Amino acid sequence: MPRTGRQKSLRRVNDPPLLILTSLADGPKHGYALAQDIGEFAGVQLSPGALYGAIARLEERGLIEALPEVERRRPYRLTAAGSAELAEAMRDMRRVVDVGTHRLGLLQGRLA
Amino acid sequence: MTNSSPQHRRALKWYPRTWRDRYGADFELFLQDRYGEESLPMSAQLSMARSGTVERLRSGGIVGSTVDPETQVRGASLLVLCAWGVFIVAGLAFAKYTEHWSLATPRIDHWLPSAAMRAVQVAATAGILIVIVAALISLPALVELVRSDGWSELWPLMRPVVVSVTVAGAVSIGIVAWNDHLGPATDTPTGLRIAGVLAGLVVIGALVVTCGTLIAIVYRLRFSPRVTRILGLLAVVMVATLVVIFAGAVTWWISTALHAPWFFGSLVPQSPATPAPLAMIVLCLMMLSGLVLAGIGAVRITLMRSHAGGTAKPSRPRGSTRRSAGSLALRQQMKEGT
Repeated sequence: MPRTGRQKSLRRVNDPPLLILTSLADGPKHGYALAQDIGEFAGVQLSPGALYGAIARLEERGLIEALPEVERRRPYRLTAAGSAELAEAMRDMRRVVDVGTHRLGLLQGRLA
Repeated sequence: MTNSSPQHRRALKWYPRTWRDRYGADFELFLQDRYGEESLPMSAQLSMARSGTVERLRSGGIVGSTVDPETQVRGASLLVLCAWGVFIVAGLAFAKYTEHWSLATPRIDHWLPSAAMRAVQVAATAGILIVIVAALISLPALVELVRSDGWSELWPLMRPVVVSVTVAGAVSIGIVAWNDHLGPATDTPTGLRIAGVLAGLVVIGALVVTCGTLIAIVYRLRFSPRVTRILGLLAVVMVATLVVIFAGAVTWWISTALHAPWFFGSLVPQSPATPAPLAMIVLCLMMLSGLVLAGIGAVRITLMRSHAGGTAKPSRPRGSTRRSAGSLALRQQMKEGT
C-alpha cells in the first residue's frame, strides 16, 4: 500500500524542544549543527523560526544555556535541569513504546 | 557583525528588538550557513514571520508568562484596546445600517429593540469615556516620555497616524459631500457605492495604523504599578461595556427580525425578507472576534491581579522545572512559543 503523508507523520517525533534537548545530550552545538544533527537522527528539517523559537524558550526555562562564541557562532549545552527534563521525557516515551510493542506483539501472535 | 544578505536582515525584522539583540547575530549566521547566498524559501520566511510574531506577542506580555507582571497587564490592556478598535468599526457600520429602523417598524413592536439600541448607545458612550479616562491617566507618562526622548524620537511613530487620519478624514468628507450633493431622492450611483467601500477601507486602515502606533507608544511609557493596575481595571470594565454592546446588537437583531423582518429587505411592511442579512452576520462576527480578544485580555488581567493582589510574579521563573508534570507539560509549554 502506498504511504501517505499522514501515515509518515505517525512515525516521526517532531517536537522541536525535545529534538533539541536530545541533540544536545551528546555535547554542545550551535544552531546549524543542531539542525543538521536533528535532520540526521530524526529525519526532521526544523524551520529557522521553529528552531530558534524553541532555543529561546528552552534557554528561558534554564533547560539549555549558551556558551561563549566559537567562530562567531554561539553553541548551546544542556543544563542539569535540561538533562533531568529530557530523561523524564524519555521515560514517558519508553512507556508508550513498551506498551505499543507489547500490544503489537500480542496482536501479531494472535494473527499468526 | 555578519555578512548576511539584506533578505536575512529583513526577515529578522519580524522579531522584537530585545530578541534580535540576544539571538539576531547567531540567527543570521545560521541562515547564512543553511541557505548561503540563496534567497530564503517561502516556508522559511513564513516560519520566521510566525515565530517572530509570537516573540513580539510574548515580549509585549500578550501571550505567555515570561515577562514581568506589569508588562503582562499592559499587554492585556492593549488587547482590550484593540478589541475596542474592532468594536468602533463594527459599531459605526451598525449605526449606519440601523439608522431609520424605528421609522420602518410598527410602533407597537418598538419596546425591546428600542431598549437594546439604548443599551448599545449607553455602553458605547461608556466605552468612549473609559478610553478618555485611560488617556488622561496615561498623560503624565506621555509628557515624561516626550521630555526624556524628545519629540523628534516620537514624530516618526506619529507621522503614519497623522497621514492616515488626514487621508481618511478627507475621503470621508468627500463621500459625505458627494452624497449630500445627490439629494435624498436620488438612487445611490455605483460610483458612490464603490467610493463608499473604498473610503470605509481607508478609515479601517487609519484605525489599524492608529491602534498600532498607540501600542508602540504605550510600550515606551513608564507607568507606576498603581497606574498599571488602574489601567488594567479600566480594561476589565471596558470588556463589560463590549459585552453589553454585543448583547444589545444581537437582541436588536433578533427582536427586529421577529417583529419587522422587512426592515432587512425592501423596508416595505409585510414584504418578504431574510431575517439574517449578510451585513448583520458580518457585523456580529466582527464584534464576536473583538469580544474574544477582549476576553483573553480580561482573563489575563484578572489572573495577574489574583496572583498576590496584583503584584504577581511570572508563573515560571527562569530555571524552574515542573518535574511532576513530566515531559508532556514541557512539550506543551514549548509549543506555545515555537
